[in-house]
Amino acid sequence: MTRYVINRLVQIVIILFMILTILFVLFRLAPGDPVARMVDPNMTPEDAARLIAQLGLDLPIWRQYLAYLGNCLTGNFGHSFHYGLPVLEIIGQRLPNTILLFSTGVLLSAIAGIAWGKLAAWNKGKATDLWLTVASLITHTLFLPWLALLLIWVFGYKLDWFPINGMISDEVWLDPDSGVLMKAWDVAYHMILPLGTLFIMHFGSYLLVMRSSMLETLKEDYIVTARAKGLTEKAIRNHHAAPNAWLPVVTSVGLSLAFSINGGALTETVFSWPGIGRELVFAVSQNDYPLAQASFLLVASVVLFSNLVVDVLYAYLDPRIRY
Amino acid sequence: MALLEVNHLSIGYQTPKGLLKAVDDVSFAVDAGQSLGLVGESGCGKTTIGMALMGLLPPNGSIVGGNVVLDGQDLSGLGEDALRQRRWRDIAMIFQAAMNALNPVQRVGEQIAEAILTHKPELGREEALRQVEGLYQLVGLPVGRLHDYPHQYSGGMKQRAVIAMALALNPKVIIADEPTTALDVIVQDQILKETRELQKEFNIAIIFISHDISIVSEVCEMIGVMYAGQMVERGAVGEVFRNPRHPYTKALLNSFPALGGPRRPLKPIPGEPPLLIGHRFGCRFCDRCPVPAASCKLEPPELVQVSETHFVRCDNA
Amino acid sequence: MSVKDQITAPAPPRRHPWRERLLENWRVFHRNPLGRVGLILLAIFAIMAALSVAPPLIDPMYHPMTGVDPEVMHSSPPSWRHWLGTDFMGRDILSQLLAGTRVAFMVGVSAAFMSIVLGVSVGMVSGYLGGWTDIILMRLSEIIMVMPTLLVVLMLAALFGKLGIWTIVLMIAFFRWPGVARVIRAQTLSLKGRPFIDAARVAGASHARIVFRHIMPNVLPLAFLYMTFRVTAAIIIEAALAFLGFGDPGTVSWGMMLQWVWKTGHMFQAPWWLLPPGLCISLLTLSFYMLGRAMDEVLDPRLRDQSH
Repeated sequence: MTRYVINRLVQIVIILFMILTILFVLFRLAPGDPVARMVDPNMTPEDAARLIAQLGLDLPIWRQYLAYLGNCLTGNFGHSFHYGLPVLEIIGQRLPNTILLFSTGVLLSAIAGIAWGKLAAWNKGKATDLWLTVASLITHTLFLPWLALLLIWVFGYKLDWFPINGMISDEVWLDPDSGVLMKAWDVAYHMILPLGTLFIMHFGSYLLVMRSSMLETLKEDYIVTARAKGLTEKAIRNHHAAPNAWLPVVTSVGLSLAFSINGGALTETVFSWPGIGRELVFAVSQNDYPLAQASFLLVASVVLFSNLVVDVLYAYLDPRIRY
Repeated sequence: MALLEVNHLSIGYQTPKGLLKAVDDVSFAVDAGQSLGLVGESGCGKTTIGMALMGLLPPNGSIVGGNVVLDGQDLSGLGEDALRQRRWRDIAMIFQAAMNALNPVQRVGEQIAEAILTHKPELGREEALRQVEGLYQLVGLPVGRLHDYPHQYSGGMKQRAVIAMALALNPKVIIADEPTTALDVIVQDQILKETRELQKEFNIAIIFISHDISIVSEVCEMIGVMYAGQMVERGAVGEVFRNPRHPYTKALLNSFPALGGPRRPLKPIPGEPPLLIGHRFGCRFCDRCPVPAASCKLEPPELVQVSETHFVRCDNA
Repeated sequence: MSVKDQITAPAPPRRHPWRERLLENWRVFHRNPLGRVGLILLAIFAIMAALSVAPPLIDPMYHPMTGVDPEVMHSSPPSWRHWLGTDFMGRDILSQLLAGTRVAFMVGVSAAFMSIVLGVSVGMVSGYLGGWTDIILMRLSEIIMVMPTLLVVLMLAALFGKLGIWTIVLMIAFFRWPGVARVIRAQTLSLKGRPFIDAARVAGASHARIVFRHIMPNVLPLAFLYMTFRVTAAIIIEAALAFLGFGDPGTVSWGMMLQWVWKTGHMFQAPWWLLPPGLCISLLTLSFYMLGRAMDEVLDPRLRDQSH
């Protein structure tokens, strides 16, 4: 098992390395002055010269490439034009927010998808199944930004139940008396709408996979054995069918992670949730290349590591892989 | 009265094309410690009988005639709940070749313990696992492998585990459905011997379902030959083998190669079994029978008694 | 004919079995409620796309991009002149919606088609040739598959500036072929072991011939199935890009419409502007998806509900 994890980690490093290289190549191929792209035109000439030397932009290509790699490994991604701060600092702040929203979203959708998929399969052909399947079909083809806007309009604006954007309310966080619990609740409160968006979008596909997986599993021989042993239908469903049926769902979570993070970035943008997805969109629109590049690398890393987590989870759940 | 009595049992499946009568007027009886072999080609209804005895017919199948009496109690009239309580406790099943009969994501020992705990929850997990250890020793499995997963077992080991599971609650009857089909002959032989010993030790009645008449001849005292849902011949193994009366039985025995004796060409039975939907006139074996008589096509043959234990369903026996 | 000619000659046209199979497939497809609804929805959208040329012809003020109603220069609710109202510049929303349908179809189908062509070719070659080609291609597809398409295209926009609609289509196609490739590869592998392939090889057929004459016809149905899913992905990605402001400024797409309503701050006051484009994106995606599921049932008999 450890060998498997290490193997995958090595793979991830290689992929990230390849991405870095491709970005470097594209960076030099793209139209315009590469130097201007990395160095804020508003800097003073002395600062600019120092930054250029630091980033190695005045070196021949090979040395530049090595300097680039070295910089990336040490976390020196340059300075953001817009914020005027080191990029590393900015994305460092954003990363936890994205992870919070993204993982909670995926987790909740998967759990609900599995539970309801099980329900739908068990009630196949009846009303419950029909409603759940139709709901899944409709929700997972919705256009995410549109759904987000609708939710904001109805729940934020018309009903005024939830805040429209952001992750925190300044009053709560600036008040020296607010305790950790209050701050945590504040974040959670702001998270409800974006989380709801992600949930509505994603539970459907997991539900459909679980449902069909469950129906397939129920045809297996060991289900007959379980029934012959005298187990109740409920016990069969929960102890024998479901643990086999949810394996393909875990796989499908892994396969759709790239897609999910697209959704995550869109959600962050619409709700102004301060995460790296939103930062990437923002940086691109502002031509803040250093920030864009670093945000992209971080997003790619998040996807790759999530894939690893899912694969490890699968290996844990399926003993045929572990042993 | 015998331990298990099956009287004029008929089982039908509802299909879009009509009622498919998979089993038609089958009767037999088995005593404690006795083995009855049900033999026949694929689709003759033997597995259906096994399922019906367990109460495990699929939703579109049901007993449409006759009854099943186990230890004096009529099983066919019982509701689902009552049947569920009896399953495994009174009558257990050993499945075909144990290929996929074990849940791949659960440890083997746990699955056997589950059978015990379902019917005796008061024992607790510890005690149940201890009993599983005892069962393992009984069937010749290494106790240390109790906590392994099914895919870690060999074919023979899986079969033994399934047997251990069937014995878990000390049932009165065990239905063995092609238990050795997918195993190599050496393992097959061992398992058959061990099963016989266990049967004698615990005085269990076994219904042995197989398409292989030679295995049945080794393991069983009684034999029932099935064709197209009907039992065409029934009797003590020795007598049926020495003196087969039904043309189908004779053909079956002829189609198996013999180890000793002069070399003879194998004689397969030409043709295919008939469709079982709709009404049938006359004997079902007529189209493939080597010695049909004119009356065979018109009237279904009656059960004729040849000796005390030997019955045959043929007008020309 | 020599043996070699017989094996490598074009397969004799089997008319009747072919037609019967098509008819049977149509029946299965038609029976599936998803297929029926999907087809109906798709037909509605096709009509909308066809109608999209009409509004500017009726009156130049109805042009989706440049049309300006001299009487209404701001966002207005539905009226007799403008059935769905106008956007913040006084342009007719309905004609924008219709034009967007055309764009959606174009983007969806072309991107899907291109990624299928690429995916099928790579899949077949990879599965058939095996060895290093297979390993390299599959590693490459793994890497591409893991990348979130939308964000990658964004990154490319950062480097190369504003993107035209066809560039976007190409990039979407480029990032979505791996999924198809893997499935086609799996099928190719299973077909490779079949006797008819051995027979062709023994008769001297070249690799290219085997791949295109014998393997391709058998993987095409699966490819078409996956094409429907690719269309949905392409439509969504283009819409998302346009929504974020990175679409082609010269094209009116539904995503673009949503961007306008959002960025101009009209989303709370103008539901007639907010609702239609998003609804259309969702419904079109839904219809292609349903089509795909119904086709899935046609292709895989095991999924068919045997009760009728």
